[in-house]
This record gives sequence, structure tokens and C-alpha cells, in this order.
Amino acid sequence: MAGQDFLVNPLGWTILVLLATSFLLFYRVLTGPTVPDRIVGLNTITTKVVVVIALLAGFLEEYFLIDLAIVLIMVNAVGGLILAKHFERRTQHD
Amino acid sequence: MIEYVLLLLGASIMVLGALGILRFPDVYTRLHASTKCDTGGAMSILIATALIIPAPTMVKIKLLVLTFLIVMINPMVSHAIARGAHKSGIKPKGEVDMYARDNP
Repeated sequence: MAGQDFLVNPLGWTILVLLATSFLLFYRVLTGPTVPDRIVGLNTITTKVVVVIALLAGFLEEYFLIDLAIVLIMVNAVGGLILAKHFERRTQHD
Repeated sequence: MIEYVLLLLGASIMVLGALGILRFPDVYTRLHASTKCDTGGAMSILIATALIIPAPTMVKIKLLVLTFLIVMINPMVSHAIARGAHKSGIKPKGEVDMYARDNP
């Protein structure tokens, strides 16, 4: 659970790789040319965060975190659908 | 052994998907990279985690339920985003006529 255990565990290495790719994707979220680019980046980051939470549940042996990951992926589904529908409706009325 | 192979495969697929989102030219190709790479990577990483952890069977079943939810939800959201982007008038920038590009 300490810092030196993080680098000898394969789950810890995978968590570090996923965090690094999430920080790479923040470039697309911040400087996306259009709004759907930002939505794509946010959707991908949320999926990576769900996987990181599930890996952290296995790494720390705190298994209630898997329930939290299931709730987060459901919220991501509703949020993504509502963002896409809002984007579609807003540009039809213009 | 197979669980570590799955873990490495999933991490490399995630890195490739992030590179695709950073480098591709327009929304649709970025969605292509995001959906395929992210769903496959998450699937293999979660199955590998369910094989690695020393946990009761109920916890492993929960991880498989999470995998099933990601496989169902991620393509649905991507389809909705692509539909909204196309209806709002964003044209794809990619070149489709590959023969004309190769033989000018």
C-alpha cells in the first residue's frame, strides 16, 4: 500500500500507465477544435478512470470500490447520451 | 501467466488508443480510435484483474458485470456522439478515394 509497493505490482504499473494516458488526453479536451472532440476525450478519460478504480480495488484489497466503478460507468452513459442529444438539438434550432 | 499477458495487452491497447485520439484529424476517426481501443483495453484489463486478485467469487463476478457494462455502454455513447456530430453539420476530413491518392 506504500509508495514502494506500487512499482513492484503489475496492477500498480497498469494504474500508472492509465494515469499517464489520461493526462495525454487532457490536451484533446482542452484544445479540441469542436465540441464533439472534447466529448470524445471526456468519455475516454471516464472509461480509463473506471478501469483505474477497479484496478485500485484489486491493489488495495478494498473490494467496495468495484461498486463505485459500476455506478461511475452508469453515470458516464447517462451523461454522454445527454451531452450528445443536447449538442444535436442545439445546432438544429440555429 | 495468461493474466499478465492480458494486462500488458490491455495497457498497450490503451496507450495506442490515446495516441490515436491525439493524432487523428477529425471527430469520426477519433471516435474510431477511442471506441475500439478503449473497449478492448478495458475488457482485457478487467478480465486480467478478475484472474489475478485473491478474492471471493462474488467480487470476481462483480468485475465481470463491470466488463459487461463497459462493453454495452461504451459503443452506445460513441454512436450517440457520432450521430449528434453528423446531424450538427461536421463533415469528415478523411480522404476516402485511396486509389486516386496512390495513383495521381
